[in-house]
Amino acid sequence: MAVNEAVATPAATRRPRRLADGSVAEKRWLLWPPLIFFLLTVAGPVVALIHQATSGEENAFVEALSSEVFVASVWRTLLLAAVVTAATVLVGTAYALAIAVGPVWVKALLMGGLLISLWTSVMVRTIGWMLLELPSGALFWMLEKLGLRSEPIELYQTTLGMYPAMIAVMLPFAVLPILAAVISFDREQLNAATVFGAGPLLTFGAVVLPTIRQAMISGGVLVFVMSLGFYVTPLLLGGPSNMTMSGIINAQLNTANRADVGAAMSLLLVGGTVAIYLVADRLFKVSERWG
Amino acid sequence: MTDSPLRRSIGWYRMPILIIALLTSLVFYLPFLVVVTTSWTQTSFIIFPPEGFSLQSYTGVLTDQEWRDAFKVSLRVASVGTVIAVLLGTLGALALTRLRSRAARSWIRTLFIVPMAIPPVAYAVGLYSVSVQAELLQDNLALLMLGEALLAVPYVFVMVSSGLSQADPALRPVASTLGASWPLIVWRVDLPMIVGHMLAGAVFAFAVIFDEVVLSVFLTPIGVKTLPLQMLTASQEELSPQLTAASTLVSMLAVLLLGGYSLFSNRRTARARRLSRKAATA
Repeated sequence: MAVNEAVATPAATRRPRRLADGSVAEKRWLLWPPLIFFLLTVAGPVVALIHQATSGEENAFVEALSSEVFVASVWRTLLLAAVVTAATVLVGTAYALAIAVGPVWVKALLMGGLLISLWTSVMVRTIGWMLLELPSGALFWMLEKLGLRSEPIELYQTTLGMYPAMIAVMLPFAVLPILAAVISFDREQLNAATVFGAGPLLTFGAVVLPTIRQAMISGGVLVFVMSLGFYVTPLLLGGPSNMTMSGIINAQLNTANRADVGAAMSLLLVGGTVAIYLVADRLFKVSERWG
Repeated sequence: MTDSPLRRSIGWYRMPILIIALLTSLVFYLPFLVVVTTSWTQTSFIIFPPEGFSLQSYTGVLTDQEWRDAFKVSLRVASVGTVIAVLLGTLGALALTRLRSRAARSWIRTLFIVPMAIPPVAYAVGLYSVSVQAELLQDNLALLMLGEALLAVPYVFVMVSSGLSQADPALRPVASTLGASWPLIVWRVDLPMIVGHMLAGAVFAFAVIFDEVVLSVFLTPIGVKTLPLQMLTASQEELSPQLTAASTLVSMLAVLLLGGYSLFSNRRTARARRLSRKAATA
C-alpha cells in the first residue's frame, strides 16, 4: 500500500532545476495583470486616504494619536486580539487533537461544528450569539431550566459577553491549519516514542508539539491579524463601551463627521496590521504554509 | 481512519481533550440552533423558546421586496467579484511556479496572501475616499465588486497553489522541449490539472464575498443593500423573526451548496486515487 502510493505520485517531490524558470513574456503576461490590479485597488485607496487625511487645517495624524478615545481603542483592540489568539490556539489544538483521536461520533460532531461555522456567515453567527445573550434570551432560558438562575442575565453588550462570540468566530482559522498538521505527521515517530517508553507528556512535548508548532503559529498569526480588524461582532455584542479601532473609525466618519481624522486612523490601522503581518511572515514563514 | 499511534501516545489525556473539544463545539452549534428555532415562532417578535410552529416569517421574507432585492444584489456582487478573484488568483499561482528566485517567490506569495490581513473597515474607508474623488465610481457597485475581489484573491491563490504543488514539475519542461509555446502549455498542461482547485477556490471566494458585510456598509449606493447589510440593519432595529428566517434560509443554501460541492469533490479525488493506484499496479 505504501509502495503503491509512492508509485502513484512520482516526481512530485523532485524538482528539476533546469527549465523551471519561465520566459520573460510568460512571466509578464501571468504576473502583470494581478500586480496591476493590486496596485489599483491598494494604492488607489491609500493615496485617497493620504489626500483626505491631509485635507484638514490641522495635522490629522497628531489629532488621532492624541485622542484619548482612539488610543484607548488601540490598546483595547490589541488586548482583544491577543486574548482571542491565545484562546483560539489553545482550544484549537485540543479540538484538532480530539478530531484525530476521538471515536467516530465525536469526530463527526466536531467536524460538523467546524463546517457549520465555516459555511454560515459571520453575520448569522453574530445574530445567533445576540439571541443567546439577550437578558431573557436562550442562555437564560437554559440556565433557568437547569435551575441555576432566576433573574435575567447581563451579558449582552458587555466585555464578558463579547469574548466567547469572537473566539467562536475565529476558532476555525486556528483549528484548520493545526488539524492539517496533526493529520499529516509521521506516525512512526510516535510509535518510536512509545517503544522507548516515553509517557504522554514527554511524547507531546518532544514529538507532537514540535511538529504542529509551525501550524499553531500560522493559525495564531492569522487570527491575531484578522482580530485587529474586527468590526461587526464587537459592534453588536460589545456595545459602545467596547469599541474596537474599526468602531472608532466608523464613528469618526458617521457621527463626528471628521473624515480627515477617520482617514488618518484608517491609515494607522492598515499600516500597523500589514506591518505586523509582514514581520510575523518573515519570522515564522506564515505565507509559505498557506501558499 | 483510526489513529491508534496518536491515541496511544496521548494516553489518559485523551478524555479531557475530548471533553474540552465537545464543550467547545457548543459555541458552533448553539448560536446556529437558536437562529433556526426562533425563525418558526408564531409571534411577530423573536422569542426563545419559540411559540408554536409556523412558516409565516419564511413566506414573509420570500415575498418581501427588500429582502429579495438584497439577495439579488449580493448574488451580482459575489458573481462578478468571484470571476475577478479566480482569474487573478490563478494567474498569480501560475506565475509563482515559473519564478526561480527564492526571494521573488517568497515576496509574490506574501503579496497574494496579505489581503487577508487588511482590516475591512479601514480598507472600506479608503475605497470610499476614492469614490468621493471619482464620479464614475459613484452610485454603482463597481468599487464594491473590485474591493471584494481583492479580499477574496488569497483564498483562490492558496487553493490553486496547493493544486499546482501536487502536479508533476517535469510536465512543463517536457511540453516545452516538444515545442509547445507557453500559452499552449498553460492551456493544455496547467489548467487541466488545476481546474478542480480553481473550482474550489471559486466556491470559497463566492462564499467569502457573499457573506462580507463591512465593505457594503460604506460602498453601496443609497437605497441599495447587500444581504448581509440588510441583516445588519435588521439586527439593529427591533428583532423580527424575519431576520432569523432569512439567516436560516441563507445558511441552508450555503450548507447545501458547499456540502454538495465537497461531497462531489471528495468522490472525484477518491476516484482519481483509485484510478492512479490501478494504473500504478497494472
